[in-house]
Amino acid sequence: MSILEVRKLTKQFGGLTALADISFQVKEGEIHGLIGPNGAGKSTLFKNIAGFYTPTKGEIIYQGKKIAGKPPHVIAKMGIVRTFQETTLFQEMTVFENVLVGCFAKSRINLFSSILGLDKQLQKIAREKVLEVLEFIGLSNRKNQLASELPLGSQRALAISIALASEPKLMLMDEPFAGMNMEETKHMMDLTRKVQESGITIVLVEHDMKAVMGLCHFLTVLNFGHLLAEGTPEEIRHNEQVIEAYLGGAK
Amino acid sequence: MELILQSIINGLIQGGFFALFAVGLVLIFGVMGVVNFAHGELVMVGAYTVWLLHAQNGIPFIPVILIAIILVTVIGLLMERFLFRPTCNDPLAGLICSIGILFILQVLATVVGGDGPSKQVPPPYQGTLILFDFLRVPYQRVFSFFVSAAGLGTLWYFLTRTKLGWALRAVALDREASALQGININRISMIAIGVGGALAGLAGALMAPLTNINPHMGHNVIITAFIVTIVGGVGSLSGAVIAAVIYALFHTFITVYFGGVIATICGLLLMVVVLIIKPTGIMGVRVSE
Amino acid sequence: MKIIIRLLKIIAVIIFLAGLIVLPHYLKFHYQDLLIFLTVNVLVVASYRIVTLTGEWSLIHAVMMGVGAYTAALLFKNFNLAIWFTLPLAGGMAGLIAALLSFPLFRMTQFYFLIGSFAAGEAIRLTWMQFIVPFGGSGGLSGIEPPMIGSIDFMDPIPYYYLALGVVSACLFILYRIEKSRIGLTLHAVHWKAPLAQSVGVDTWRYRALAFIIGSFFVGIAGALKIHYLGTITPNQFGIGFMVFILIWVIVGGYNTIFGPVIGVVVLTIFDESVRGFGELRPAIYGGVLIISILFLPLGLESIYTKFLTLCGIGGNSSDGPPP
Repeated sequence: MSILEVRKLTKQFGGLTALADISFQVKEGEIHGLIGPNGAGKSTLFKNIAGFYTPTKGEIIYQGKKIAGKPPHVIAKMGIVRTFQETTLFQEMTVFENVLVGCFAKSRINLFSSILGLDKQLQKIAREKVLEVLEFIGLSNRKNQLASELPLGSQRALAISIALASEPKLMLMDEPFAGMNMEETKHMMDLTRKVQESGITIVLVEHDMKAVMGLCHFLTVLNFGHLLAEGTPEEIRHNEQVIEAYLGGAK
Repeated sequence: MELILQSIINGLIQGGFFALFAVGLVLIFGVMGVVNFAHGELVMVGAYTVWLLHAQNGIPFIPVILIAIILVTVIGLLMERFLFRPTCNDPLAGLICSIGILFILQVLATVVGGDGPSKQVPPPYQGTLILFDFLRVPYQRVFSFFVSAAGLGTLWYFLTRTKLGWALRAVALDREASALQGININRISMIAIGVGGALAGLAGALMAPLTNINPHMGHNVIITAFIVTIVGGVGSLSGAVIAAVIYALFHTFITVYFGGVIATICGLLLMVVVLIIKPTGIMGVRVSE
Repeated sequence: MKIIIRLLKIIAVIIFLAGLIVLPHYLKFHYQDLLIFLTVNVLVVASYRIVTLTGEWSLIHAVMMGVGAYTAALLFKNFNLAIWFTLPLAGGMAGLIAALLSFPLFRMTQFYFLIGSFAAGEAIRLTWMQFIVPFGGSGGLSGIEPPMIGSIDFMDPIPYYYLALGVVSACLFILYRIEKSRIGLTLHAVHWKAPLAQSVGVDTWRYRALAFIIGSFFVGIAGALKIHYLGTITPNQFGIGFMVFILIWVIVGGYNTIFGPVIGVVVLTIFDESVRGFGELRPAIYGGVLIISILFLPLGLESIYTKFLTLCGIGGNSSDGPPP
C-alpha cells in the first residue's frame, strides 16, 4: 500500500530544471531513503512535497488525494510534516514550549476562549501530550531548558519531537545525521527506527551512507534532477549506475 | 496639447531628481540592508546648503553644488561609520538610527534657517529656453536636467566599467558570498553610502532653486523614493531610474489634472498594487528564498 | 523566601495601583492633561507590541489609531453617539480596515511589509486630507465632546482620567491574556521560525493577520479615547511623526515583554517633559537618545530590570511564553 506517490514531477527555476520527470512511491510504514550526489535535487523534491515549492508539472498524491501546490500548513494538517536540514527550532523558547507549539499548530484559533480561559481542557490535553512526546524521545529531563542551550543531538531530537507533536502520518526528514559524530548518529538511528515502529512512515534525505543503508527499507537515487535507480539497499549497493554516479561525483 | 507637452518636459526633469535620490536609497539598502529613513533629510541638507551659501551669502552656484555634495557625502560617511556599521547585524536598529538622524538634521535645519515660512532660492540662471511658441523651459530647469543626467551617467559608468563598481554590485547581490571572496565589506559600505549621499546632495542642490525649502521637505522626498524603489524593484538600480521617470510623468500629469494630494495617493496605491502583483518590482529579481 | 518575594510583589502592585488612582489629585492642570495622554499612549504601545509579536514591524499603527479616532469623531458629530458606543465601534472599524488591508499587506514580509504598510497608511491619511466632507480636510474636525453622566462632567481631567484608566486597564488585561494564551505562543513561534511553524501546520498568514487585527482594534479604541478628550482631530496627528514616536517608545523600552513598551512610553514622556525648556531642539535630543539607546542598550530599558533581577539572584526565566 503506498501512502505517497510522486508522478512525473518536474520543477524548473527560470530556465533551470531542478527535477525532471521524477516518479516513485513510498510504502506505508517503511523508512524510504532518498539519496544522490550534491545538487541532485533531493531537497528541492522535499520542498515540493511539503508545499514550500509548487511543482512546474506532475502530481503528488498522498493517501489518494492530490496535494501538489497546496500551502505548507494545509499539507501539514493532512499529516505530512517535514524537519529541516539545519537545526531549525524556536531557539528562544524552552523545550516544552517548542513541542507545545507543535501540539497547538492544528487546533482552531478561538480568540474568545483564549482570552476568557475557556480552553482549559484543550490546554491540559496538550500539556499531557507534550510530556508523552518528550518521554518517548527521551528529552523529559531537559524540558525547561531553552532550545538554544541544547547540544546538537538533542536539538535534532527536539526537532523530531515538534514534528511528532503535530501527529503526522508521514515524516520528511532532511539530513537528520548531518554533522553528528558516531555515537550521536547511532542514537539518532535508534530514534528514527522507534518513530517508524510507532506507525509513522518516514522519507529520509541523507548523505551518511552507513545510516541510510542500515535504516532504509527502500531507496530512490537521484542524479542531476533525474531518477537514477530504485531498489532495496542491497540492490542499490551493487547498481553499476549508482556506483558510477557517486565515483564520478567524487572525481 | 501644450499642457501635455509642458507636463512631459516637467515630468522628465522631475524624473531626474527622483532618480538621483532613489538610486542612492537603493544602493544603500542593497549593500548594507538598511532602509535609510534619513535619506530625504540628506536631500534637505543639500538644498539648505544652496540657500545658505548661494542665496544668503552670494557664493556662486556651481561651487556651492560641489560643497553641498561634499557635505552630504561626509554626513553619510559618518552615519555609516558610527551608526550602521555597529548595528549591521540588526537591520531594524539601522533603520531606527536613521530616524534619530532624521530628527537631528531637521532640528539643525531649523536652527540654521529659523522657523519661519519656507525659503526660496532665486534661480541662478535667468531666462527661458523657447523651443516652440508654446513650449518654454526655464534655463534653470534645462541646467538641472542635464546635470542630473550627467550625474546618473557617471554613476552608470562607475558601476559598470570600474572594478570598484563591480565589487559594489557584487556585495549588493550577495553580501556573504562577496565577503568570502575577499571583498572588504566595510569599504564597499562606505563607498555605497558615499555615492548615495553625493547623489542626494546633488539632488538637493539642484532642486533648491525650483522648490520650497523647509526642514520638513524630506518627508515628500522619502515617500517618493519609496514609491520609486518599490515600483522599480528593490535592489535594481536601472529599475529605479526607469521607475523614477515613469512615476515623475505619472505624478506630474495627475497633479496637473487633479491636484498634488490625489497624485500622491495614486502613487501610493500604485506602489501597493505593484507590491501585491509583483513584489520584486518591474525590474527586480528574487534574491533568495 | 519565595513567599516573601511574592508578598512583596503583591504589595508593590497594590501601592502602584493606589498611586495611579490618587496621582492626578496632586498634579497641576497641565500635568493632568499629560497624564491622560500618557494613559492612552500606554494602550498605543501595548497594542503595537501584539503586532510586532509576529516579527513584522508595521508603519501603519498611528494611522490605525486615526481610523479609530475619525470613526469616533464622525459618529459623535453625525449621530451624536456617546463615548460608550463610539469606543467599541472605533475599535471595530480599525479592526475591519486592518482585516481588509491584511489581504494585500501580508503577502509581503519584512522590508516589503514595512514599506507596504507605510504606503497604505499614507494613502488613508491623505484621503482624510483630501476630502473636506466628511473628514474636514487638513483642518480636521472639532467639537468632539466627552460625555456627561449626571453631575459628573468628563470634560474635567480627573474624571476623564479615571475613565481612560479603566478602559486602558481592561484592554491591557485582555492583551496580556492573549499573549499568554496558546495564540500568543503560536505568534511567538511564527516570529522565530515561520517555516518551522508552517511545517507543523500553523497557518502563518492567519496568525499575522490576526495579530494585526487585534492590535488595530485596540489602537482604534485608544484613538477614540484620545479624541473625545482632545476635542479636535486632524490628519497630521496620525502622521509618520507620531508613528516614529511609537517606534521610539517601543524600542527604547524594549520589546521582549509587554512591560518594555509601557516602561518606554512612561520614561520617555517624563523625559520629554523635563527637556521642554529646550524648545525647538527637543526632537534632536529625542533623536540622540534614540541612537544612544540603540547602540548601548539594544534590548531596551526593560533589560536593566532583568539584569538587576539576575544580579539579585532572583533571576527567573527571561523568556515570555506561557509558564509550562
